[in-house]
Amino acid sequence: MGERQTFLWRILVTGACFVLFGGGGLILGLIVFPVVLLLPGGPARRRARTRRLVQRAFRLFVATMSGLGGISYELLGRERLGRPGQLIIANHPTLVDVVFIVAFTPAPACVVKAALFANPFTRRVVRAAGYISSAPTDSMIEMATAALLSGDTLVMFPEGTRSRPGQPMAFHRGAASVAIHGASVLTPIYIQVDQPLLHKTLPWYRVPTRRPHISIEVGADIDLEPYRHQLPPKASRQLNAWLLAHYEQELGDPRSYNAPGND
Amino acid sequence: MQTKDEVLEQVKATLIELFEIAPERITVEARLNADLEIDSIDAVDLLDRLRRQTGRKISADDFRSVRTVGDLVNAVHAVLQA
Repeated sequence: MGERQTFLWRILVTGACFVLFGGGGLILGLIVFPVVLLLPGGPARRRARTRRLVQRAFRLFVATMSGLGGISYELLGRERLGRPGQLIIANHPTLVDVVFIVAFTPAPACVVKAALFANPFTRRVVRAAGYISSAPTDSMIEMATAALLSGDTLVMFPEGTRSRPGQPMAFHRGAASVAIHGASVLTPIYIQVDQPLLHKTLPWYRVPTRRPHISIEVGADIDLEPYRHQLPPKASRQLNAWLLAHYEQELGDPRSYNAPGND
Repeated sequence: MQTKDEVLEQVKATLIELFEIAPERITVEARLNADLEIDSIDAVDLLDRLRRQTGRKISADDFRSVRTVGDLVNAVHAVLQA
């Protein structure tokens, strides 16, 4: 195929993936989960089953996106994801970051934005999987901490919302606070895209001119020990500032993870 | 039974210890967020500390309307009365 054909093909694939994602959410929420809820076992086992189903659905979605040539990706250090009480944090350059992380982490819980609990395509999924709404902040922190202390693996995006192109990253202190209160281990993921892809200021059909490549790297665990000996308000501020500086260093030039629009 | 003045002293001591706020800034009228820079994440830590100090179950809902140090003292006092 020529360049123009592959470009049009990727628009088609991107559109199809949106339909697949929404349709998949509806099918899971309306048909699959109600059946799962009928299976024997207590609430904890049901939620674990639901999370495994979401993970498989996301795995399938990633395979579809890359199989059809919409994107390519690489993932390093996957074997370090999914430990009990592990808090996984990641920067948030694209709409599909959480899909990748959940797809390759065994049965994680996630903190997701409150709007997903109202969206008809996603609300049944996030409820059934026991995901945690990012608002209000105080209940998010208490629920996220409780999930980690009960042995769940939890995924959070300290940026809170997708990165804005050309603007410096900002981290909300909530993730640092949850890490200090509940995490047995804190593991960073660094996500980089070589071109703008499904970020906040672009409509979905403005696909990049070349096939975008997403690189996902699981970094070394972050030592929380120094922060546990301080009072939480100070410790969470220090950890948050350290994390932001650390991410800026790991990701290098902001344009490499947060490319400006290709107008 | 603690009087409100005693609760105020206890709350003051907690704010000084937890957030390292200068004692003279902590007045009854001081707003927690605007004046003392205690945000919603700090509030979680503050409630956690108050729960341990009082040994009472304090729900975040009891403190939703708290804006000033005086409000906080009243809310803690009410919890201790209950």
